[in-house]
Amino acid sequence: MRRLVSLAAASVAMGLTLTACGFGGDDDGGDGGDGGEGGSTSLDLLVPQYSDGTTALWEEIIASFEEDNPDITVNLEVQSWDNINDVIRTKVQAGEAPDILNIDAFSGFAKDDLLYPAEDVVSSETMDDFQESFIENASLDGTVYGLPMIASARALFYNQDVLTQAGITEPPATWDDLLAAATAVSELGTGVFGYGMPLGSEEAQAETSIWTFGGGGSWTAGDTITVDTPENLAAVEFMKTMIDAGATQPDPGATDRTPMLDVFVQGQIAMAVGLPPTIGQIEERNPELNYGIAPVPTQDGSPVTLGVADHLMAFRNDDDKQEAIRAFLDHFFSTDVYLSFVDTEGFLPTTMSGAEGTANAERFADFLEVLPEAQFYPSTNEAWAATQGALQSLVGQIQTQDAASVLQQIQASADNA
Amino acid sequence: MTTQTETRPVRRHSRRPRGGSSRWGTLGRALPWLGPTLVLIAGVVFFPAGYMAWTSFRDLSQFGVDNGPAGLDNYTRLLEFTALSRVLTNTVVWVVGVVVVTVLISLGLAQFLDKAFPGRRLVRLAIIIPWAASVVMTTTVVYYGLDPFYGIINAFFVDIGLLDRPYGFTRNAVPAFLTAMGIAVFVSLPFTTYTLLAGLQTIPTDVREAAQMDGAGSWATYRRIILPLLRPALAVATIINIINVFNSLPILQVITGSIPGYNADTTTTLIFKFIRADRQIDTASALSVVNFLIVLAVILVYLRVVRPMRED
Repeated sequence: MRRLVSLAAASVAMGLTLTACGFGGDDDGGDGGDGGEGGSTSLDLLVPQYSDGTTALWEEIIASFEEDNPDITVNLEVQSWDNINDVIRTKVQAGEAPDILNIDAFSGFAKDDLLYPAEDVVSSETMDDFQESFIENASLDGTVYGLPMIASARALFYNQDVLTQAGITEPPATWDDLLAAATAVSELGTGVFGYGMPLGSEEAQAETSIWTFGGGGSWTAGDTITVDTPENLAAVEFMKTMIDAGATQPDPGATDRTPMLDVFVQGQIAMAVGLPPTIGQIEERNPELNYGIAPVPTQDGSPVTLGVADHLMAFRNDDDKQEAIRAFLDHFFSTDVYLSFVDTEGFLPTTMSGAEGTANAERFADFLEVLPEAQFYPSTNEAWAATQGALQSLVGQIQTQDAASVLQQIQASADNA
Repeated sequence: MTTQTETRPVRRHSRRPRGGSSRWGTLGRALPWLGPTLVLIAGVVFFPAGYMAWTSFRDLSQFGVDNGPAGLDNYTRLLEFTALSRVLTNTVVWVVGVVVVTVLISLGLAQFLDKAFPGRRLVRLAIIIPWAASVVMTTTVVYYGLDPFYGIINAFFVDIGLLDRPYGFTRNAVPAFLTAMGIAVFVSLPFTTYTLLAGLQTIPTDVREAAQMDGAGSWATYRRIILPLLRPALAVATIINIINVFNSLPILQVITGSIPGYNADTTTTLIFKFIRADRQIDTASALSVVNFLIVLAVILVYLRVVRPMRED
């Protein structure tokens, strides 16, 4: 009896301590076993899953790192892109942020003062190796917080056979060309749609940015998010023209990108904006597809593309981990290790040594060519995350609503953030 | 003699305090056994609910950093949300529609399964299957089937000439919402049917026989005898379904997740959008509190109006 009571009491006490740990908010260390004794340090690494091979790739990198640094262990956690934002949010809220995080946007964490400045966690050689445009995109108020890790750019993929069938000899360079070509394809009556426009919640912000950037628009002016501008409105109105003319697949407002690109790969959509990994998907799923890659059509034909860079960032959890973090990040960005990651995942490198050494130079020539013209999401603006969310969940409404009122709704969400 | 006169008052005497102290005594003795459960309930029910209510009055950054008290700001922002009325209407349609249709179909199914017929065991088993399958899986199967590009359901409709070309059932708010409601009914049927079937089996046969002897037709027997006796089972089935359906996220998330705007959202999926798209954890907490109050109010009204637990 007495034992039972004390057991119950113990379990109550334990429950309370556990709760206290989980919701403490301040990171008072929690478990003290991490840092100090014996010089052994463990680093928590949280990464998104880029492909089926991502986990194995990281395990390989960690194994080679631990071999060189036997006193440091790295705990890997891989999450899907769908979940990683929720996971990191929960971890930060619980005061259990990872030491190193790989994700797209860093500015929210930087604003909350959770990150090390980049120069504190990598050597100056590593720092100097990044390409200038990426470093700019990774800074907040003049301080670099994100380490540009991989880049991606967009280009127009077109189905050569279908375009030929519709009498189109050259891939469209301007919006008007695109509208004409897509309408011609749709009018063939073969069930193939002219242009794939994915405005579903998965990545509507990307498709919209390609159009607004292509019309000379921008999402920011100084420190404010500007969605409802004349340039952006013109671009979105042209998107609506495409939809209304039947030049796109049906219901673009609720079409997600990944399944739509599969439909392009199957040959049922004539043109769609794709990414470097799309090449691999075509090779794997429909190698017979006779396709070409061209710069994304813009309003006046001048090349612009949407660039995306994902970043590595280091959280300031325990000051005694800084050296270990630096060792790991320098290891990751050493040319061989870095290229093994970038080349296997099929992305574009962000470092100068990487750009020279990448094995995919020829394969990605179309993308590397437009990379200098790349414009990025204003991810350093802390209202961007909410703007992106609003674009994802609202912009598809242009299918049924007036373009101006949709942009106003998105602007309102951005102003609210 | 003396012993008798003494024992009586003593007994009566000892009874009273026992009534009081023994309650505490029993509680004290039960506590070690109840303790773990109470800790569990406090830990997984009361603490999170309280924490949610607390965060609804805080100003949280998009990554969950607490920036101090927010007063009623989160609730004000929620009330100013323009699509709120549409979302509330959707929620009512969703809950009432799914629960009413589920209960009606289940009443029929339960009645059917209560009869003896060859192969009854197999049919009973078949009705459990939607219960055994994961909701997300069931929903995903339907979602793919209805896909306009490669869905077999869509292809079938085109093949039999019902449609000229594939239709985006899951790409437009109203048809997608109705599809989701259909799936919600489908996955709610097993539990409801079995609860009602269990209720039917507690009704003694002599009651029905007596009704028949008195000349009641089968419909009158059902309406006047069976249905009233089924009331407790019906109450359990309805309340649990209301709570379940009201809080259901996965079906709508899979079916209507890619639809732009808020025309296919219920309060539950709106909470999800506040967190994921708008990054407003604090507004989402406020809506969660409102959600909780709504479900509480619905149940209270139901218990008051229908009085399902009364015994007469």
